[in-house]
Amino acid sequence: MTPSRGLPVIEPVVDHAAAAARFNANPDRVTWHDAALWFVREKRDQAVTEVAEWEELRGLASSIKEHTLSRLDEYLLMFESAATTNGAVVHWARDAEEHNRIVYGILESHGVSRLVKSKSMLTEECGLNPYLEARGIAVVDTDLGERIVQMRREHPSHIVMPAIHLKKEEIAETFAAQLGTEPGVSDPITLVAAARGHLRERFLDAQAALTGVNFAIAETGGVVVCTNEGNADLGVALAPIHIASMGIEKMIPGTAELAVFLRLLARSGTGQRITVYTTHVHRPRAGQELHIVLVDNGRTTQLGRDGFWRSLKCIRCGACMNTCPVYRRSGGHSYGSTVPGPIGSVLTPGIDLEKYASLPFASTLCGSCTAVCPVKIDLDAQLYRWRQIAVDAGYVSGKKRGAAVVAAKILARPRLFALIGRATRVALRILPRSLVAAVAAPWSRDRDVPSPASQTFRAWYKANRASRRAGKRQ
Amino acid sequence: MNARESIIGAIRDAKPATVARPDVRTAVGRFPQRTNVIETFAESVALSGARVIEGKRSQLAELLAAAYPARGRRVSVVEAVEVDDGVSPHSFADTDVFICEATLGVAENRAAWLPLSRLRHRSAVFLATNVIIVVDRARIVADLHEAYATLDVAIDGFGVFVAGPSKTADIEQSLVIGAHGPTSLTIVLVDGAA
Repeated sequence: MTPSRGLPVIEPVVDHAAAAARFNANPDRVTWHDAALWFVREKRDQAVTEVAEWEELRGLASSIKEHTLSRLDEYLLMFESAATTNGAVVHWARDAEEHNRIVYGILESHGVSRLVKSKSMLTEECGLNPYLEARGIAVVDTDLGERIVQMRREHPSHIVMPAIHLKKEEIAETFAAQLGTEPGVSDPITLVAAARGHLRERFLDAQAALTGVNFAIAETGGVVVCTNEGNADLGVALAPIHIASMGIEKMIPGTAELAVFLRLLARSGTGQRITVYTTHVHRPRAGQELHIVLVDNGRTTQLGRDGFWRSLKCIRCGACMNTCPVYRRSGGHSYGSTVPGPIGSVLTPGIDLEKYASLPFASTLCGSCTAVCPVKIDLDAQLYRWRQIAVDAGYVSGKKRGAAVVAAKILARPRLFALIGRATRVALRILPRSLVAAVAAPWSRDRDVPSPASQTFRAWYKANRASRRAGKRQ
Repeated sequence: MNARESIIGAIRDAKPATVARPDVRTAVGRFPQRTNVIETFAESVALSGARVIEGKRSQLAELLAAAYPARGRRVSVVEAVEVDDGVSPHSFADTDVFICEATLGVAENRAAWLPLSRLRHRSAVFLATNVIIVVDRARIVADLHEAYATLDVAIDGFGVFVAGPSKTADIEQSLVIGAHGPTSLTIVLVDGAA
């Protein structure tokens, strides 16, 4: 499932820690990236406090998604029937290759050579752009962030803010080279105006528009697309062909449920009350064709995994990334996965565990992701489950394995534990700090090794609680 | 086996035990009631980077004329009640001001609902540089639950909630108003009497 735009990229096995270390080579950039994401997290908090019934909404959203997933076959067929009646053509794709083949087939049969796309992580996942480009179709991503990374031949580093890893000076360089803006001018208003002019021509000139789907309504057979820029709408309103590509987990039963998700989505993602445009497409325009492609690509496998099927509740708001202390300080590209961050680290190992075994370890298990998730996915618990599976499958380094084996032996033997504790405390007292730090490296690189406590918990317990409990028993 | 049968079969094999469909209407009926919906809507519009003009419906023509005086091509479908999909969508590319009326406004998030019958054509509301949306004070509802309870989203085949001028924060999280769609939005809030 590696998406590629003909980039040099992605090592066969993703080593998150190594990639994060490369990102951390520039501490100023890490601090800046961290602050940019935390700013969005704070906007989310502000938006959430306005809604008194927030926790009830999360609970509802979670149970709606669980219900829909538990009857996904029925809802997909209901959707297909309603959408077909509305005049859409519904296609089914088992995997990325089949999705790409279907999309290309539609374009080829109409002689399309110019396609505009709005944001679709699914087509990133499927590697659609290189597939179409290799067959002579010019693909233009129209979401500003996605267009920027496309021009730089990079991947999005975030599912909602694809260019969050870039500084405006870097974007200015790209625009100067490719759009002819004045070199050195990096003011966002000027850059956005340049992109607007450039993309307006592409919209007016496009022969087909492809969009993602935020929600598909089973009862009415319609798709809902949420954007702020209006790029999906310009594509769809102008082009004679609209292709909507969606993962099968985007299904919801009806519009009463849609209200619940729309109240949660933008507030969780960017701290907005709603996106600027929430577009409901049920029928093509007169003379237009509407194709909806329903894609599995590993989702039914995830649905069958006891401990992981709830990850399919995800509505792709990005809140878990914005809040994750590891994501904020390692950058989206360090995950080597279309969907990075906590949700990516539970979804992507399900596609290829050997390749992505390091992702469940890209977490402190602090649970902040679970706390902000608008559909209450137990992300930290799923990360922990994947770790156990990765270890059992032998995908964890010998060093990490060895440490765990030793720790298990010590923790299972109270006397040995006490002995080693005593030895360590003595060592901490008498050894030079520099030697202690060297032994504790790399942990000690950014931290001081603490001084040993004057009394251990065991000693304290023996002195205080043990006698009292013994007293009670008498 | 074709892809459809294969995916449906895989779901039937994989899906978890049935989880009951939650009763959304009953659940949202217990949420706190919102008051001052008109004031909330107007305040929220202003926060979105859009402008609010308030007045009487009897003065609508003057209010609309004053909103963007002496501009380029104006397209008004404020009386529209039917769909005309046959016109070339590209013919609205040079629209300076587009004027339409929403069938409802949502107080909690300033969204105005524009079904295709109120837009007449799909493209102008996205292509125009400036957009004016008339919202009737009597048509403002508290939240999206109330909105969807009254809407038939499928009826015109197309409908959109608009909540501000187009915008982006894709460059260093700096908010820029006017991304690919309209660079300005004016909400004209009128009372019900014609």
